[in-house]
Amino acid sequence: MSRIYLLPLWIRVWHWTNALLIIALAVTGVSLHFADPELPLVEFSLAARIHDLAGIALLATYGFFVVANIATGNWWQYVPKPPGVLERCLVQSRWYMYGIFKGEPHPYRVSEEANFNALQALSYWFIMYMVLPVMLATGVMFLIPDLAPDRVFGFDGLLPVAILHYLTGAVIVAFMIAHVYLGTTGQTATSMFKTMITGWHEE
Amino acid sequence: MLLNWRQLIAALALACTAGIAPAALAGDAGAIDTATIEKNRKANESCFTCHSAAGVKQPPRADLDLAKLRDSRVEPGVFNGADHGVMDCRQCHTAPYDEYPHPATGKDETAPCSECHAGKVLRLEPQFEKSVHAKSEGLKEKFSCSTCHNAHINVVALRLKDPAKIVAQDNHGCLECHNSDETFARFAPESEKLPGVKKTRPDIDTIHEWLPNARAHWKAVRCVECHTPAVAANKMLSHEILDKEKAEKKCLSCHSADSSLKTRLYRHMVKDEQQRLGFTNSVILSNSYVIGATRHPLIDKAVIGLVLLTLAGVLGHGAVRILAAIRRKGKKE
Repeated sequence: MSRIYLLPLWIRVWHWTNALLIIALAVTGVSLHFADPELPLVEFSLAARIHDLAGIALLATYGFFVVANIATGNWWQYVPKPPGVLERCLVQSRWYMYGIFKGEPHPYRVSEEANFNALQALSYWFIMYMVLPVMLATGVMFLIPDLAPDRVFGFDGLLPVAILHYLTGAVIVAFMIAHVYLGTTGQTATSMFKTMITGWHEE
Repeated sequence: MLLNWRQLIAALALACTAGIAPAALAGDAGAIDTATIEKNRKANESCFTCHSAAGVKQPPRADLDLAKLRDSRVEPGVFNGADHGVMDCRQCHTAPYDEYPHPATGKDETAPCSECHAGKVLRLEPQFEKSVHAKSEGLKEKFSCSTCHNAHINVVALRLKDPAKIVAQDNHGCLECHNSDETFARFAPESEKLPGVKKTRPDIDTIHEWLPNARAHWKAVRCVECHTPAVAANKMLSHEILDKEKAEKKCLSCHSADSSLKTRLYRHMVKDEQQRLGFTNSVILSNSYVIGATRHPLIDKAVIGLVLLTLAGVLGHGAVRILAAIRRKGKKE
């Protein structure tokens, strides 16, 4: 069995903090958006306070993530490297859709140089650098409504901010479900979760 | 504020003849013709020569008490736009005000609101009796309609239309006392805890700490949305002002699809509700995005669909993986 020390402490601490915050934000976000006296999940004013605090914490952890990524060079992991990005994506997709059921080995081996396969790199890049910034920016506008436009198309200016916040939040929740499931596709169903805790990747 | 028997009979007679028509009882501005309005405004100009910012700045007489004048100034532009701006000042500030110096008893002879609004006062009086403003010893007597409703400024919500303006006007009436130690002290009853000592004004930010984004709420809704009991859809707000123990604390009464804002701040606009672009409570959305109340059913369905499809996808994939693994194991054996 070979072992690689893949994930330094700062990535693991950031990852689990991020996970807890996003779960708290998703649960309270659902309570706020689908507020209904018949279906109480988290009491409204409590949900609003938790959502505000967790949102500010997520903004701080995102700032830490960006700075630490730049400082350590980890950002490079999120860039699918040419040539053959599309081909590698297709090979990886074929494995998820077919090879995995046949018990075929992973098409690409994890290395210190490339933690992620091409599909992972693309999806993480999309979530972390495209979706999450929009969700955070619209969240800040929700927190400080004066930052939002006054009126848009005859509606309150917070409407487009709220819709973007809601949609990006939904994409992140869907990503999180898929992300947790894909965490079971390692050598064993739990090996990737162990790596995310210990930092060691074992094959 | 109590009605005397003559006003009571007048109110009942009015209510019977007008079929309890609020507009008629309220002295509907539409009932006054243009010529009368012009005549009244012309007559009012003589009052405004002293009782205005310009009058205070350049008093037309040398013997005016400027301190008193400052307290009794009215802005002609604002007054003319107010509900009572069509009236002659002397319809409320009766005869003694024709002369100068005005007699000391002049203020006591100002006509009570019930003189014109007898029907409304009759309906609101029992509500006010239950109000926190009528509960404490000696407080009720200090209150009149004009304590909260400034007849020189106020415009009825139906005419103001813009919810932001309605909120600013109505909250000003509350905050004039509840955000000023000086004004609060003029009305403050005796403290329940310290006999002989006047109650001090509680800090409004502190007592609303439980309310998330309290300041944002105060810009978007009126104090009375929470500090009055629930009313039926077609009824005007109650004048029973509730204290902090009885006031609404359930966020969902506004923040839900069946928002009570429809029967409160937006009750004058609810007939315009057209589910614009498919949003629920779009009439509220024209002014404020209210989480939980202003949703789009189609966007909600798309979002729930996305999450359910993802869940079904991973569960299906996982099930096939398990079945495939069992099958492979069986083949090996």
